[in-house]
Amino acid sequence: MPQPLPHDRSARTDAVAGAMPAAEPRDLDAPAADADLAQQLADCRAELAATQRDLELLSHGVSHDLRAPLRAIEGFTALLDQHASPGLDATARDHLARVRAAAARMAALIDGLLALSRAARSPLSMVDVDASLLADWTFAELQDADPTRTAELHVQPGIVVRGDERQLKLLLEQLLGNAWKFSRSRDRIRVSVTAADVGGAVRISVRDHGTGFDPARGARIFEPFQRLHGADEGGGHGLGLAIAQRIAERHGATISVDAVAGEGCTFHVDLPRGSTGIATVADGQGTAP
Amino acid sequence: MSTRPILLVEDNPDDVELTRIAFAEANIANALTVVTDGAAALDYLFARGVHSDRDPDDLPSIVLLDLNLPKVDGREVLQAIRSHERTRSLPVVVMTTSAEPFDVEASYALGANSYIRKPVDFGQFVWAVKQVGLYWLVLNHGREPH
Repeated sequence: MPQPLPHDRSARTDAVAGAMPAAEPRDLDAPAADADLAQQLADCRAELAATQRDLELLSHGVSHDLRAPLRAIEGFTALLDQHASPGLDATARDHLARVRAAAARMAALIDGLLALSRAARSPLSMVDVDASLLADWTFAELQDADPTRTAELHVQPGIVVRGDERQLKLLLEQLLGNAWKFSRSRDRIRVSVTAADVGGAVRISVRDHGTGFDPARGARIFEPFQRLHGADEGGGHGLGLAIAQRIAERHGATISVDAVAGEGCTFHVDLPRGSTGIATVADGQGTAP
Repeated sequence: MSTRPILLVEDNPDDVELTRIAFAEANIANALTVVTDGAAALDYLFARGVHSDRDPDDLPSIVLLDLNLPKVDGREVLQAIRSHERTRSLPVVVMTTSAEPFDVEASYALGANSYIRKPVDFGQFVWAVKQVGLYWLVLNHGREPH
């Protein structure tokens, strides 16, 4: 079983904040019961605030205090590699390379945990967001980081949804990053981002033509640390899709995936329309903003 | 190009050593003055305490400031630099491990000129230090000391 994570804790506290107190049958003529409920509400709020403070402190500690020694391990190993390498045999050089690779993995893991915790707790500022622009921008960043790969992205223009721009960017980073990683066995990376109206929501679909996975194994794909691929197939720290799901949840959105082993997968995020009704898909099928 | 020393405010001896090596690899020849807590940074900049024999007008070219420091926190150091006439326009580059949006926003609100998150990868660390040096010591036209 996966360990309970900040992810789960936050899910609970959000639920407490949104829907408390528990709906007990109430006697409307009993002011004492009202006072009791008010007290419970106040207690819950205080506990929620304390939990959020703890989480912030923990996250700051992880961010600062765990990365600093890691930088020393990586930095001095790199220097040793540079300066002592000519005098070392192949085995010793291999050991140095393993130390550096492990440090890099741990750095990525810490960054992933921080991103997950931030996705769960940073305040949302809801505005109309140009998701097409965010997808183009994210894909350009992936190409910059991996310039030797040939990649094609087709983004439907004018996908406008209501959400927190920073978090939706992070969500697209996870989905497009996932598509990029699991297309590594292909000559070219092909990804499309499209939108459709589904029952009043805007469904954004991110489709790749990578390795895909067996749908029977996909039920837990959004849980932290679940990995369906080994590192040699592009598997990472197993937090990316947990981050994507956490962001979707906080937007009141659902996230799902269709996959075919060997043919690729498509992630769908159904983002609800904004309360003002101006969030829409401007593709000629929906209503232009 | 400014030839005045760089003031590094950093309590972690490993980071001091890595920064020193990174400046050397980036061919930045300015002397690196190191103080290891916030109180010592303020004593150095305002020429008091153990630094009372310093000329208070002899300011460093840039201050590289960590945020989590013993005695006086990096944020307080930044606040003190910005609230004194003599040091108000001194370039301060926050170089820290945290990328928490809260730390970034607080640093800029207090008047930091730049905010650099120190990368774990040594190659990227050298690159970042080199960019800081090139920008603040070569490209940027700062105020001349009085």
